[in-house]
Amino acid sequence: MKLLSSMRRQRSLLNCAPISARQLADRTMRSAISRADNSAEFVDQQNFDRAVARLVRFISIPAESAEWFSEKDLVPVVKRTWKNMVRNPAVLAISIAVVVIAGVFVFNFVSHLHDFPGSATARKLLGVAGSTRPVMLDPMNAEAGTLGDLFFMKHGLEHYDVPEEFADFSTIGCRVFEDDESRRVAQIWLAEKRMQLFLFPAERDSKTGAVLQFPGWRYVHQEGWTGAVTEHSGVLFMAAVRGGEKDLEPYLLKPKE
Amino acid sequence: MPERKQNLPQLYRFCFLMLGDSQKAQEVFHATLREAAVRAARGELPSEPFWLFRDARWRCLDATKSDLQPESIEMDERDVAPDSESQVQRLDPMQLAIWISAAPDPQRSALALFYLDEFDYREILDIAELKLSELSRFLAKGRRQLQAWLDSKFPQPSKV
Repeated sequence: MKLLSSMRRQRSLLNCAPISARQLADRTMRSAISRADNSAEFVDQQNFDRAVARLVRFISIPAESAEWFSEKDLVPVVKRTWKNMVRNPAVLAISIAVVVIAGVFVFNFVSHLHDFPGSATARKLLGVAGSTRPVMLDPMNAEAGTLGDLFFMKHGLEHYDVPEEFADFSTIGCRVFEDDESRRVAQIWLAEKRMQLFLFPAERDSKTGAVLQFPGWRYVHQEGWTGAVTEHSGVLFMAAVRGGEKDLEPYLLKPKE
Repeated sequence: MPERKQNLPQLYRFCFLMLGDSQKAQEVFHATLREAAVRAARGELPSEPFWLFRDARWRCLDATKSDLQPESIEMDERDVAPDSESQVQRLDPMQLAIWISAAPDPQRSALALFYLDEFDYREILDIAELKLSELSRFLAKGRRQLQAWLDSKFPQPSKV
């Protein structure tokens, strides 16, 4: 039954076989013709069709009708200019979306360009610095450099030492608290420019547990505050001040005595 | 405009084959193009391909509706002969057009579109709104009838 139907379809296709090869785009037609190519009946049909088509091409076009066949198109093709394309609401909407996405991408890229291990925590602590009031800290009148011993003895925090650049400044208060990831953070308030110092655990490699180190000082910025961060013995130290990097630079460049 | 440019000389030939009369063919051809120009000016051109041919076909059918219709008689049919080519060559294009235009539609449309050698079979099915089996039947029958007519018009010397 299927074979019969297939043969019938092939016969139908052969009856409609194109006169010239340029109409031979259909694969099923090509296949039907290739099967029947040598049959005398099909050859006669093709010769007959070609002769009739040739005769049709001899139909002359009257002069009045030929006037329509000028070089220019009957219906002018509307050229798609850039202007028209840009005015298209769909193109406009897509363009705006692409620009916004690109903007967000660039913003994220630029803002993370100077990231370093622990920069996210440092930014959070700058937020803490902005919202901290002196009464929230335990009063402490000492040199900042001496508080490392206090943190070790009272809170068991090893290597929570203030770097020598800030060790000589006198403090007005300090405290130890846990951040939202239960990491213990030491916060010191200095009399100098109402600067705040933070000491907190450095980031570690999730697989090996090794401390992710970085050399020198790095800056972070958040809500008008700037922090200068350095790493030492698995502990990050940040000096935070309301202002810009210029406010911190003199302390970091201070020559050792 | 559709991607494939509408071939205007072929459009005229199509009208001529459908109507078998140069004057009528010109009228339909001009009416079709005028209508197309008006629609283009309004920006209402159809997006489907070969709409000019489809439009012209309906105009041709409409133009012949009021004409005297040929009696529906069973025409002779003959197998296509190996030497039919020479018989066709002796025909005048006008004679062929008159013969095709006398065929009942949709066979007339099928023959006119097919012998324009402008469209593949799927395009003809689309323009003439036919199924493959119908187009095949009309073309096969048309060939056999045309062969019979050629035989009667230009009898071949009998082979001994």
